[in-house]
Amino acid sequence: MRKANILAERNVDDLLDKLRGLFADITAEDIMIKSVVTLTKDRTMWQAKELMRICKISGVPITDGDNQLEGIVSIEDIIVALEGNYITDPIEKHMTRDLITFSPETNLEMLIERFNRYRYGRFPVVDSNGKLLGIISKKDIIGAVLDKFRLIYVHDTRRREVLEKSVDWFDKSLISGDYVEKTSADFVYHIDYTDIDTAGVGSAKLKSYLKTLTDDDTLIRRVSIACYEAEVNVVIHSGSEGYIFAWYDEDVARVRVEDYGRGIDNVEQAMKEGFSTASDHVRELGFGAGMGLPNMRRYSDKMVVVSEAGKGVVVEMHFYRNGRK
Amino acid sequence: MRLSKIIQLLECEVLIIKDEDPEIESVGAADLMSDVLAFGGPGMILVTGLNSPQCVRTASVVGAAAVVIIRKRNVPETTIELAQELDMPLVHAKMSMYRACGILFREGLGDSLEEGKHLG
Repeated sequence: MRKANILAERNVDDLLDKLRGLFADITAEDIMIKSVVTLTKDRTMWQAKELMRICKISGVPITDGDNQLEGIVSIEDIIVALEGNYITDPIEKHMTRDLITFSPETNLEMLIERFNRYRYGRFPVVDSNGKLLGIISKKDIIGAVLDKFRLIYVHDTRRREVLEKSVDWFDKSLISGDYVEKTSADFVYHIDYTDIDTAGVGSAKLKSYLKTLTDDDTLIRRVSIACYEAEVNVVIHSGSEGYIFAWYDEDVARVRVEDYGRGIDNVEQAMKEGFSTASDHVRELGFGAGMGLPNMRRYSDKMVVVSEAGKGVVVEMHFYRNGRK
Repeated sequence: MRLSKIIQLLECEVLIIKDEDPEIESVGAADLMSDVLAFGGPGMILVTGLNSPQCVRTASVVGAAAVVIIRKRNVPETTIELAQELDMPLVHAKMSMYRACGILFREGLGDSLEEGKHLG
């Protein structure tokens, strides 16, 4: 047992050395949350508590009107204020003024060292004049490290090659049965599933592209709505990267959206309005109400979905020039 | 009704505005973007409690004329930037959804999300 532990520790050291190189270029500026919720010192401790509760944060920087950092109120300060029965006092009387701050250039190694040494939950990042630029909590560090890993994963396309070769429907048109030449597509967009805020960028690009080809606004609208739903599905459900391919000629716009992720267990169930497996987080963003596939069907003239659990999803849709109005 | 009139009625903070003052034909109120995609149509104004960039993107895709975000403490920069990029008028009404919709309804604006009205 003891021996195994020593080995493991050595491996961990090796691993850390390798990782250190990978993460050496991450600085406080990259990690910090820039849209910081702040308060001024004339507000009360109770207001700070409410703000922290509503925003689900564990500390609030206190700034003057000019964004100059003056102090911080943490959950610990709130607990003490509740115990001491002075929660209605102004923040000015009780905020922590003696602060440890980071400059934007501080590197990851130094950040971790400070977190371990001072044991605070969060550190403000300030410029050389003491103005607040952002805030970093331990969660943000983990997030930055994970992002770096995810980037490595997404760039590794080997997984896709394996999938494409083993599954026939990645190569054939679902509607006509012909082999599709994806390299001949008029429009190609790579869907990044790691950032939900970018869901829809591909459809917006497709919309602009179609505008250069036709002035049939109804058709453009139908294509972009259906494609938007398909793109959002890739981002919120697949857990994998995906692609939008589109071909356009005078009579028909063809759109194919594919991903290489989780897949759909039961396509028939997924086609029903109101059926969804989305998380609460996704629902808070206005999606995940079980309208995705039904909306795609509503707007397209022909649509085929093929999927299998764990093998990704391919959606192919055709929109005819004189199709639905 | 012109957008400028709606801004006035709802006492909106203006975030992004175009030179022209679009004519608003109807109102769609929803927090669920899939509902907007299903039933929304050109010329509508989207009234929503959502403040993420997705509300602007959804409005743009269905061809809405403007977006009213209802009573958020703030509207994220990313949302405002996207509205700028997509040329979508964006305003922020600091009143409740109920009140905002009530005012627009009283002014005689129709419901654009009524099922079946704008079916693709």
